[in-house]
Amino acid sequence: EPHSCPRHTDTRTMLPLLLLLLPAAHGIARLGYTPVLTEEPPLGAQKTASTFVLDQPRCVFKDYGNADIWLVVALDGSRWSSAGQGACGGPCTPHQIPPHPHPLPAAESTFDNTARPGSNETAFQSFPDPVHAYMTLNATLVNYPCPKPAGDITVLRVGSETSCAQDERRPTCNGPLPGPGPYRVKFLALEGSVPVAETQWSMPITLTEAKSPNTISTTGSGHSAGMIAITTILSILFAILLAGLVAMLVFWSSDSCSGSSTFSKPESVTVRRYNTHHVYDQPAARL
Amino acid sequence: MAKNDDCVHILQGLLVFGNVVIGMCGIALTAECIYFVSNPHDLYPLLKATENSDIYAAAWIGIFVGLALFALSILGIIGIIKASRTLVLVYIILMLITFAFEMASCITAATHQDSLTPELFLKQMLERYQKSEPANNSDNEITKTWDELMFQNHCCGVLGPSDWQKYTSAFRRTHSDADYPWPRMCCVLNSQGLPINLDGCKLGVPGYYNSNGCYDAISGPVNTHAWGVAWFGFAILCWTFCVLLGTMFYWSRIEY
Repeated sequence: EPHSCPRHTDTRTMLPLLLLLLPAAHGIARLGYTPVLTEEPPLGAQKTASTFVLDQPRCVFKDYGNADIWLVVALDGSRWSSAGQGACGGPCTPHQIPPHPHPLPAAESTFDNTARPGSNETAFQSFPDPVHAYMTLNATLVNYPCPKPAGDITVLRVGSETSCAQDERRPTCNGPLPGPGPYRVKFLALEGSVPVAETQWSMPITLTEAKSPNTISTTGSGHSAGMIAITTILSILFAILLAGLVAMLVFWSSDSCSGSSTFSKPESVTVRRYNTHHVYDQPAARL
Repeated sequence: MAKNDDCVHILQGLLVFGNVVIGMCGIALTAECIYFVSNPHDLYPLLKATENSDIYAAAWIGIFVGLALFALSILGIIGIIKASRTLVLVYIILMLITFAFEMASCITAATHQDSLTPELFLKQMLERYQKSEPANNSDNEITKTWDELMFQNHCCGVLGPSDWQKYTSAFRRTHSDADYPWPRMCCVLNSQGLPINLDGCKLGVPGYYNSNGCYDAISGPVNTHAWGVAWFGFAILCWTFCVLLGTMFYWSRIEY
């Protein structure tokens, strides 16, 4: 009899353990891949004000040929989980403050992998408030053949569909992102509606913020060396000429300096006649 | 006195030669400035929109200064050969006045050239390119000039396509960032004027969009214009200075 009691306890503790292990057996595989922004080839529009470009997840979901691969885009609330103003490093501009009063939680902790794409909880049109993460860019393994052919540009442009951005009938729209972020993304493989695999969350992606052209200063460019040289040299030359003119006029008004070596005018040059054959001084000698 | 005569003739010869050179340079300056004024280059709408037309004022002054230099050089030659004190004095005073005007023109042209910085054109482009309600005709002119500039020179923006990303603009107000990260003219276009690969252009793939800025293409013609007026005028003035100094010395030695 004392032995039967422990046996009863064993089966009772085994059952909850088995129940705990069941979900793990059908659990989500956590793949080691981290989504990254495209670095090769270098793109001019890798990050714009409302789009960014990711590498396609080639050779990542090899074992999940039947699954739909979705991209989950979440607003990374970790920046806002602390007190509001301090997160901006100064006064926050309207761009920086999300249009809601409560700080958003971090993406990883709130996104539920069992969320269905195309539902109200993951609709793009309700992003970022009240929806904190949306699902888009549905694809299958056929779209991401492995290995990637060399020379092909295999990218995903997040935010390229502008036609459905306001269309509530298209909740999986790949619409332009509403603000500078930061955002975090991951890929999620769903078989039917059951999540089977997911990648890591990416590093936070912050988009570019445009400044007003009024911040461009067009004054105070300074003067180039050429302009300063021209001004200085010409001023000096002009000053010398003016001084020369003044000296000339002073010289003119004072008669005393009519110099010894003056240039005679052509009219006053007399032609000397050499009277070699006229003896004018002979009568003086005869007398 | 023979030696003095020789000095006279040498100095007269030098001064006449100097005046001949001034006369020819005066004609050349007039011709050059008439060319600049009557044949504005394609970028003239951009310069006009900066509301600083000093460079054209400098060119207009250059036309009249050139003619004055030519006329005065003839007067100078006559006065030197006749050794007439009055004529040479009149010549010197009028030449000084002309010198002052040409000096103003050179300094204005050089200063204006300095003011044409990349930031000036960047601000103008962002505020007026493809403005949806053009305030006056010059906005349309600016848009046409920029389209032509970007198409001919295979360039985008002033410093690069990132100008359209770093700053908001009149263009951005009517064209969404996702569809138009930069204007279509920044894409490499085929013979029909359509982008050869629109997605490649929107992504910024090298080879499908123009990745360098247009400032070099703008500053080239503008600099030629400014240097033609400013530095050529400066050279003429340096030569004129020497001739005037010689003339002043000659005048002081003419027998009264």
